[in-house]
Formats: sequence, C-alpha cells, structure tokens
Amino acid sequence: MGMTLDFSILLRFTDALAMGLWTTIKLTLLCVVLGTSLGFVIGLLRSNGNAFIRGALGLYVELFRGTPVLIQLFWIFFCLPLILGVEFSNFVSATIALTLYMGAITSETFRASLRSVGREQMDACVALGLPRSAQILNVILPQAVLRAVPTLLSNAVSLFKESALVSAVGMADLMFIGQNISNNTARPVEVLTVVAVIYFIIAFPLTRAVTVVEQKLLRKFSV
Amino acid sequence: MDYQLDLGAVTRNMGPLIEGLWVTLQLTLAANVIGVIAGFGLALLTTSKLAILRWPSMLFVEFFRCTPAIVQIVWFFYCVPMIFNVFWGPVFMGIIALGLNLTAFNAEAYRASIQAVPREHLDAGIALGLSPAQRILNIVLPQALRNSVPVLLTNGIGIFQQSALVAIVGVADLMYQGKTLATATYRPIETFTIVALIYLAISYPVGQFVNWLERRQSYA
Amino acid sequence: MNATTTNSALVEINDLHKNYGPNVQVLKGLNIDMMPGERVVVIGPSGGGKSTLLRVVMGLEQIQGGSLRFGGKPYITTKGSKTVIDSEVRKKIGMVFQHYTLFPHLSIMENLILAPRKVNGESRASARERGQKILERFGLAAKADAYPSQLSGGQKQRVAIARALMLDPKLMLFDEVTSALDPELVAEVEQVILNLAAQGMPMMMVTHDMWFARNVASRVIFCAGGVVVEDGPPEQVLGDPVEERTREFINRVFHIKA
Repeated sequence: MGMTLDFSILLRFTDALAMGLWTTIKLTLLCVVLGTSLGFVIGLLRSNGNAFIRGALGLYVELFRGTPVLIQLFWIFFCLPLILGVEFSNFVSATIALTLYMGAITSETFRASLRSVGREQMDACVALGLPRSAQILNVILPQAVLRAVPTLLSNAVSLFKESALVSAVGMADLMFIGQNISNNTARPVEVLTVVAVIYFIIAFPLTRAVTVVEQKLLRKFSV
Repeated sequence: MDYQLDLGAVTRNMGPLIEGLWVTLQLTLAANVIGVIAGFGLALLTTSKLAILRWPSMLFVEFFRCTPAIVQIVWFFYCVPMIFNVFWGPVFMGIIALGLNLTAFNAEAYRASIQAVPREHLDAGIALGLSPAQRILNIVLPQALRNSVPVLLTNGIGIFQQSALVAIVGVADLMYQGKTLATATYRPIETFTIVALIYLAISYPVGQFVNWLERRQSYA
Repeated sequence: MNATTTNSALVEINDLHKNYGPNVQVLKGLNIDMMPGERVVVIGPSGGGKSTLLRVVMGLEQIQGGSLRFGGKPYITTKGSKTVIDSEVRKKIGMVFQHYTLFPHLSIMENLILAPRKVNGESRASARERGQKILERFGLAAKADAYPSQLSGGQKQRVAIARALMLDPKLMLFDEVTSALDPELVAEVEQVILNLAAQGMPMMMVTHDMWFARNVASRVIFCAGGVVVEDGPPEQVLGDPVEERTREFINRVFHIKA
C-alpha cells in the first residue's frame, strides 16, 4: 500500500477534539439523566396506568424503537420547529431527540425489571400485611430499579454511541469535529481512527462495568 | 401552525422512496447473510482455547460494539479505498460495512448462547460416550442456534434501522431519498413522517414476532 | 392458649370452593374447624389442594364459594363473583413459604422490621430491639446486617419464620417450608417449628415429611380431590387410617420413605 501514516498531524487539533468530546459527553449525560427519568415514569404508567394511557405510551415507545435514530433527529431538527413555530438551538433539539429516544428504550428496561419481581414477593407482602404503598415503595420498586441497573448502563452506553449521529445535523460533537479535521487535512485514516479509538476508550470500560455489576446483582438476587 | 399539510407532495413522488426502500432492503438482507454466517465463525474463534485466535477476534467484536456505527461507516467509506486502493460501488461498500458491524454483534449473541448450554448437558454427553466433535455437533450447536434466534432477529432488524446511516455517505437508500425529497419539495414533515412510518411498518412486525418467539421459548 | 378452655373455633372453613380458571376445580366444598392451640398438618397427593388451602387461609387467593371465619369473626366471604377479605383479620395470620421469599434487597434486620413499622407503625428502635431478640433466640444474631444471599437455605427459612413472628401472629401457616432445603439443613428449620409448637403456637402446615408430621401435629387432615377425606389425631391418620384412600396414600409414602 502506497500511503504513509502520520498521526502527529492530530496534535494540532487536540483542543478542537477535546471540545467536541466535551459536547458529546455533556449531551450524553444530560440525555441519560432526563431520558432515564422519563423512561422510569413511562415504564410505571405502562405497567399500571389505564388502557388509554397505556395505548398512547405504547405507540410512542414503538415509534422510537422501530425507526432509525437518524430520522428521529431529522424530524426533531426540521419538523418540530415548523409545527411549534419556535426555533431551537442545535443543543436543545439534540437533547429533545435523544431524551425521547432514551426514554423509549429505558421504559422497556424498567417494564421488564418490574415484571421480573416475582409473584412470590407479592405473596410475602400480603402475608406480612404490608399496605399497598409499602409493597410498591419498599419491596417492588427498589428491587425493580436494582435489577434494571445493568441494562440501564448498557442503554447509557448505547446513547453515548448514538449521540454521534448529531454530527449529521450539524452539531459540533466529537464526530463532527473529527470529520471536519479529516476533510480539511485530507487525512481521514489518521483522524477517523483516532476518533473511533476515543469513543472506544470511553465505551469499552463501561461495557466491562456492566458485566461486573450484572454478576454482583445476580448473586444478590439468587435468593 | 401556519404550515399546511400536503401529503400529495410525497405521494406524487413515491417512486424515489420505493427505489430507496429497495436499496435499504438489499443492504439489510445482504448484511444479515454476512452477519449470520460470519458471526458464527467469529463466535467460535472468540471461544477458542488458543489465545492467538481468541484475542484478535475478541478485539474485533469489542471494537465494533464499543464505537458508534456512524464512525464505523464513515471510516469505512473514507479509509478503505485509501488503504487498500480499491473502489467499490457505494451499495457494496454499505453492505460490507453493515455486514461487519452485524458480524460482531451476532458473534456476541452466538457466544452467549453457546455458553448458556448447561455444563450438565456436556457431562451427560461424556457419560454417554459421545466424542468431543459429536458433543459439539449434537448437543451444543442445536441448543445454541435455537437460543440465539431471537437475538439474531433483533440484531437483524437493528441493522435495518442502522442502514439509514449510509445516507450520510451518499448511498441512495430510503433515508437518503427521503432527505432529498424533503429538500426538493420543502415538505419535511410529510416526507420524514412517511419515511419513518415505512421503517416502522417493517421493524414493528418483526419485533412482535421476536416477542412471540421469546415467550414461546420461555415456556418450552 | 388451651383448647379445653374454649369452645369456639380459631378457624372455621365452610364449604370452600376454589377454581383456577373455568375448568380446574382445586377445592370442592372443603370443611375444617380448627380449634385454638391445634397444630394441623395437611397431607395428601400433589394437586389435591393442600397448598391452595393454606394460600386461601392466608388471604392470597380469590375463592368461588364458601366462607372463612377467624377467632369467631367473619374473615373471608364471597359477594357475587368477588372475594371479600377482612385485611384486619388477615394481619393476625403469618405465613412461611417454600422458597423463603425474603426481600433480597434488604438486610436480615430490615426484612424483620419492615412490616412492624409499616403495618403497626412501630418505631425503628423498638422493632430493631425485638428483632434482635428473636434473632438471638434463633441463633442468628450475628446475621442481622447480612443480606439473604449470604445465608444458607436453612438460615433463610429461619429468618422467614422470625419475620412472620415479628407481627405476633395468632396462627402460623407453613407451606412445604423444608421442601427446597438440602437434607442436612432440614432439621434446624424443623427444630424451630417444634419449639414454636411447644410454646403453644397454633399452626397449619403442609409437609411431605411424615416423620416431622407425626412429631409436630396434634391433628392430621388427609386432603384429596379437593375435599377432606380423613381427619383425626396423627396416630390414627398416619398410623391406622380408617379410609381406604388414606391407607393407600400412607402405605405408598411410607414405603418410599422407609
């Protein structure tokens, strides 16, 4: 192969890459917190609420799980302002889109973990005469949330990766900056490889952590 | 809102969308053929006793699982022609890029279901006098394949959705045609909504089928 | 409590009917009067409705007909297709299950004090003090801050009994509490139940362990096909049953066990 690699060109762009990474991390953390909270509420309502609420929320969840995240971003960026007649900044649009996406996937996580708290635990609650509020607050919810933790962590890692899509709608995240540098220097191999490695260095330890947390919890719940 | 909905702007231009959908389906099906076959081979490598086979294959899997798909695709479209000095058509490039991504995810699914085969079943195989090859072929494989079907389908429909990313590097798939149409007609709401619904109309039934399959397997 | 000083039953079960779905009748008109101080062991073939009976008495199941009274007061009745359960009465009954059903996210002490605090509004300090005493009695004082997953099956089941006793029940239900245990752990749980029996705790239990049944029971009920087939002192039902079906069952079980 007739090309030579020169990774030193990247040294000129460390500040720009760091800024992009910071935007990626800020956006991810914000949407993880907002999206997981939204997912928790939706998971609860879909497990208990009335038929109309369940149907409407089910539609929302299926819409966001059943379509590419890219089209969700396009829709929020280009269609929502038209419908509402309000302009949002890129950051706000991206936050809305990724929060709605995260809400949909984490609501399924919470729903599954609520179902996984067995009927025997409910029997024990009744046998102890626990009032409904204590059954939910002290027995069912803590277990459901604990059981959800590994999957929620995976969901967060997924969101971190999906956040790279905001580059396609012009937001200056790590991917966007990387592509710009790559285009300006005509050095895509070096630049894009380094961008990929940065994502990897953050995501990989998190996926290992998911495995560790999962095993700890499995031991705890092997009652 | 002042925006007047005009679905006609889209329905009069269904031709390009259908062409795009056809490209999307080609990408999806071909990537799945690659992923289902190569993923299994890769899973065997990641469970190999030989470190020299195991480590590179695990690195391959983790790299694809721990980087954004869009980074992989952009990298592939820009770097592969430069490094290997080859020039393939965009759809073929898309198929290979998505196929490699799916290979990594499917390898993980196969590996998990190979490891989920209970040790006792292998012990029983030894007790019955089966050879190591017979144990793999008759005990491990059938169970592992059967258990991995729901995840393979979920991953397969995942790659259908991820295939929209190739629009960013100029492959004329459904997403790309939608974007072009939205710009040409100034009708983003109608266009993107209809494009989203087309994606949903294909993913949703497959998702429901997977749910049904998982329920059935958990009763078995 | 002494059975001879009172005439009124502790539990009165009248014509109890229980179905699972439209086709499966589990209990078909069951009648039992349990006197205070009695220790009733229910035996019978699987699918004969033993565990279902205990679950009904605990108020865990909807019933399709009949009624239950507890301590002379109405407890469970039917109103149309609905089952009406008096939850104040239910609080007087404690139950221990086959699979421990400890709350895995709570420490042993927290498992013990959750219900006293939430049900009776007892203070944390006072509940902890009582909890510590019970744990000491059961030889589990050192485990107060451990989590259920750190305990053996026998220890978990003893904690489950302690948890039920925290609410000062007037009747204890034991549903196959040693069935999930390794054989060497069965004795420690049975010993706790025998101690409770010696202190006069009324109890109703389902067990497959005929040796234990003979040791603990003051009365044995043989249940099959959703009705009471034979009902009497352990010497009679386990030793020299009157009914042919009981005899067959006992012969089979003892034959296997011996």
